[in-house]
Amino acid sequence: MAAIHEDAEASAGASDVNGARWDSEDLVRRLCWALDIAERAVDRLAAAGYADPDEVGNHLRPEKLIAETAFLLLSASTAGRYPEVERRVRRVAERLTPHARSERMILGICLEPALALDYAEAHICLARLGYPDVRFDAALRRSLGAQAHASRERPPHRVLEQDWLMSGCTGARACRAARSSQAVWNSALGRSIDLLGCTREDVYAFTHALMYVADQDLHPRRLPRPKPVILEEAEAALAWCLDEQDYDLGGEVLLAWPLVRRPWSAGAAFAFRVLAHVEDQAGFLPAPSTRLQRLNALRGDARINYLLATAYHTAYVMGMLCAAVLRFGRTPPSKIPRTLAARGSAHRILPLLDADGMHPHWRGEFDHLRGPEQDAIAGFLLAIALRRKVGRRDIAGLHDVLAMGLSLGLADSPAASQAAELLERLAGAAPELPVAAGRS
Amino acid sequence: MSSRVNHQEIVKKALDAKAVDFAAIGKVIAEVGPALALADDPGDFFCGTMRHFVHVYSVRVVNDGSAVEELGALGRVAAELRS
Repeated sequence: MAAIHEDAEASAGASDVNGARWDSEDLVRRLCWALDIAERAVDRLAAAGYADPDEVGNHLRPEKLIAETAFLLLSASTAGRYPEVERRVRRVAERLTPHARSERMILGICLEPALALDYAEAHICLARLGYPDVRFDAALRRSLGAQAHASRERPPHRVLEQDWLMSGCTGARACRAARSSQAVWNSALGRSIDLLGCTREDVYAFTHALMYVADQDLHPRRLPRPKPVILEEAEAALAWCLDEQDYDLGGEVLLAWPLVRRPWSAGAAFAFRVLAHVEDQAGFLPAPSTRLQRLNALRGDARINYLLATAYHTAYVMGMLCAAVLRFGRTPPSKIPRTLAARGSAHRILPLLDADGMHPHWRGEFDHLRGPEQDAIAGFLLAIALRRKVGRRDIAGLHDVLAMGLSLGLADSPAASQAAELLERLAGAAPELPVAAGRS
Repeated sequence: MSSRVNHQEIVKKALDAKAVDFAAIGKVIAEVGPALALADDPGDFFCGTMRHFVHVYSVRVVNDGSAVEELGALGRVAAELRS
């Protein structure tokens, strides 16, 4: 991926890649494209989902697509002051409604009261959009009154999701504030993320907890830790997502900045830039699940269905991100904001990363930054380097990277702090470790 | 570019090496399956050994460690969504 920019201008309405403008027109265009994909996905997949006949692991339940489409619509509706967005939200909502309240959904609510809110997610979102259904509301109320309705044990971010859904129910009384409050503290928002060893699921728990806590239209709650602390960790997690080219998760992490209404950090602004240019070149924000070899073996409807089933989710994430930016008017800066990083810092760290022989998309984008912009994301690069060293269990390398970060004045970050803790733990345990014993 | 294991490749190698004889497994299941299906004590007490010899899973793989495909090629495919 030598240069993200080469084909970018060829895509419809692409932004000015040299000036990197992310004005409202550009963001609306991206959001509308996500909604157009949603319309196609609903038309083709909402009735029966998707099951690849030759790859049994590649399947999509209709409930998932229906719920996520409704969630996208709810997010997009906050940018409804743009007529082209409003028109699309209405169109997709009307196509989605019969699926959201189908016999399958009613049966699910009746048969599995512990999952009633999950089955009703699209219905609740549509009701909030102005598409109520009293018959469905009644079925949901009956199920929520069942003895078994709270029988499912859930992690904190899923508790928050349930409470978010409950608080959106028509005629619902106050949300279960006490339970939610406890769940917020117990969620990934209330404690440090393991920035050197976290999994996708860990970061996913963070992004989803934040989405449900930050819904300003319902019951906005205070975050359990200061916003700058949460965003510093989010930036390190974002660095990992970008390095893994995991744009699905990276887009969700980027939501943190508009949702908590804080200015874009240098790393977040850079990440948005990478995602936007990747989307411009690929035509949609891609995920590894879309495989060209498989796609090329398919024709006609099977081909389009495969493409939609594997690509829709990441496309939705980009749409939600643009909607959140438009909603709060916090457009990512066209120039990476300056930080306190010393001049030349980035190019001190870069050789350590290039030596790994990897060339993710962010690396091409980095070359298009001006010198001060490159230095502004030196801390971002340091987070990537630290994570890579830990991933490879290269502890000596980790020490060297951390020492360099310290010498450059970049060690005042959660990732660097966790790296120092890791080295301290290993040093403390060294006498007990067989490797150390063998050396001595 | 990912440093993660590509599970598809590992599975393909195992299949190419004929490490798993699916025909033989199928033959055994064909022989004992009907009786097991009607047995009073199926499942964990299979054959009285309390061991599972074969598990059949359908694994949902969200991200198997593969990298994102080449962007230009994806861009040509994406045009089909616009039509």
